[in-house]
Amino acid sequence: MGPYDYGISAGSSSSSSSSCAGGKPTELDGLLAGAGYKVRSSDLHQVAQRLEKLETFMVNAPTEISQLASEAVHYNPSDLASWVDSMLSEINQPFPVSSSDLSDFSDFHYMDDLVTPPLQHEVLTDAWADQSAQQQQPQPPLQQQQLTVVAAIEEDSGIKLVHLLLTCAESIQRGDLALAGTLLEKMRALLSRVNTGCGIGKVAGYFIDALSRRLFSPQAVCAGSVLENEILYHHFYEACPYLKFAHFTANQAILEAFDGHDCVHVVDFNLMHGLQWPALIQALALRPGGPPLLRLTGIGPPSPDGRDSLREIGLKLAELARSVNVRFAFRGVAASRLDDVKPWMLQVGPREAVAINSIMQLHKLLGPDPNRGSPIDSVLGWVRSLNPKIITVVEQEANHNQPEFLDRFTEALYYYSTMFDSLESCTLQPEKAVAEMYIQREICNVVSCEGSARVERHEPLAKWRARLGGAGFRPLHLGSNAFKQASMLLTLFSAEGYCVEENQGCLTLGWHSRPLIAASAWQAVPLPDTNSLPTINDCVL
Amino acid sequence: MEQEKEKKARFCINDHQDILIEILTRLDDRSLGVAACVCRLWCSICRNDSLWENLCFRNASPPTPDVRSVVEALGGYRRLYMVCLRPVLNRLSGLSLGLAGRGGVSGRNGRIWTQDEVQLSLSLFSIDYYERLGGRQGGDASASSLMFLCKPVNV
Repeated sequence: MGPYDYGISAGSSSSSSSSCAGGKPTELDGLLAGAGYKVRSSDLHQVAQRLEKLETFMVNAPTEISQLASEAVHYNPSDLASWVDSMLSEINQPFPVSSSDLSDFSDFHYMDDLVTPPLQHEVLTDAWADQSAQQQQPQPPLQQQQLTVVAAIEEDSGIKLVHLLLTCAESIQRGDLALAGTLLEKMRALLSRVNTGCGIGKVAGYFIDALSRRLFSPQAVCAGSVLENEILYHHFYEACPYLKFAHFTANQAILEAFDGHDCVHVVDFNLMHGLQWPALIQALALRPGGPPLLRLTGIGPPSPDGRDSLREIGLKLAELARSVNVRFAFRGVAASRLDDVKPWMLQVGPREAVAINSIMQLHKLLGPDPNRGSPIDSVLGWVRSLNPKIITVVEQEANHNQPEFLDRFTEALYYYSTMFDSLESCTLQPEKAVAEMYIQREICNVVSCEGSARVERHEPLAKWRARLGGAGFRPLHLGSNAFKQASMLLTLFSAEGYCVEENQGCLTLGWHSRPLIAASAWQAVPLPDTNSLPTINDCVL
Repeated sequence: MEQEKEKKARFCINDHQDILIEILTRLDDRSLGVAACVCRLWCSICRNDSLWENLCFRNASPPTPDVRSVVEALGGYRRLYMVCLRPVLNRLSGLSLGLAGRGGVSGRNGRIWTQDEVQLSLSLFSIDYYERLGGRQGGDASASSLMFLCKPVNV
């Protein structure tokens, strides 16, 4: 308690406030002395400025501060002026930035323009300015300039990283793998100077990893085990609203389509944990006229360890349905690929109203398959043959299936940067970190895989419209109820950057006017030989 | 004079539970919570689901009769209110009126809760029930997809 003892005794002697112009220059400042710091009143101006510089630096480059915590030696911390000076000089040592070093970035001439002239700090009150005007020492301009340059480098490193990423992708496309390798090393070096905790640094890190995977280990498998995928998916569901938006919008459309039907059958192309269905079951339970008989067929990958995860999910859903008095039947179809599923496996009854629900599954069918015909066409073909009442399709709103690698890469860079931006607002841990792994896996697949291994072949809404229209489906407009519900759901998320937009009857959810996910509903164009719908419902159970 | 005073002092609200219930049905959520701490009788009354049902639909149009059976099956009105309805309404009203979202429900200028907001809360409630059903692999029962409702709004 040494410094405080001193402070107590000193405080009584210099009782006048430090901001009074009448204080003697050699006296220690009374207020700071009470806190244990010895600062001459004449130095207050300087100390305030230096503290501000220190704070600016700490805010801009927190990763460099760790060495201060462990290695810096402060001999007399209560002497605030020299303490701040020593901190600043320690920080400036790893960055001996002179004009010669700036030539490293020789291909960016605009760097020179960005080194701003030293800022004039105007933090002082008038009282202090009066007192210290005659005692002000000349500010060391180099120190100030170095700090400003550090902040500018931070920003520029981000831009440079993007430029290098695009150059690397372009050289890969041209086949110049040697240059690509060099660029990768440059990028990794640059990455160490950038804050990789958030922003462009984080996204660039993932893309650099994906590029190096593409160059050096293209055979490495991107996908994880079934259990891993489920966990990642679940955390992505909880961390951001994209999947919730998908589920709620699809449920609303299905609910409206099932109006008036007593036997309904939902086919889910990717059951996962079945989180979409409790809300639909509850809504059906409360619909005017009473709940229908609901059958749910969930398609999912087979579990490797013999555990029947599909059946477990079905049992949970059945228990919920039982609690709310909805007659419910579940069937699980285990298939590792969607085009392995044959329509007879779904056992659709003749009088049922069928809804097909595909959340981010159709794009996986766009890859080439030498053995079978086009997978997407065969799946859309049997979907149509079931004559469903409604097909709900939710897909990523991105163009990641272009033939040229550079185009795909550029699009992915901007798409996933936006998505990571939106994820910044999430405060739930560990959900946020695991959700990032989920996105990282997608990035890896888009960038480093090719051929049949590349399954994340996202296409934008316009392309899906053309594709589904050509396969014999016509669009169903999602009503205003869906829009209202989606908007309400979004306001529940603390971040205000999400936006729901309506796009010719489809809904898109995006971040700051960049749509990231699109939900649409479709109906089969009636075949010429379709039987008329029965007026009396008789369901084959 | 003293006889009158004696008569007045003998009135104990706990002897008149119907009056007590009448009063408690008019309270807001926070006051109900406070009232539940008074004594065991008040606690048991305040935990009665019908009080919370009343609170849930106080400012909304009366629900259809089947809502009650569904809500009770999914965990009851008190849970519906605490887990879903209150955070949803706090968040939605706080954003629209620029309030911090504190204070009792009825102190919110008698704002009418739309049927949509109740519907959304019921949907979220059903997800909450589903996640609480046992057998979740590796996760604890409290890891709920409704946790985003608990976080304060970054205004």
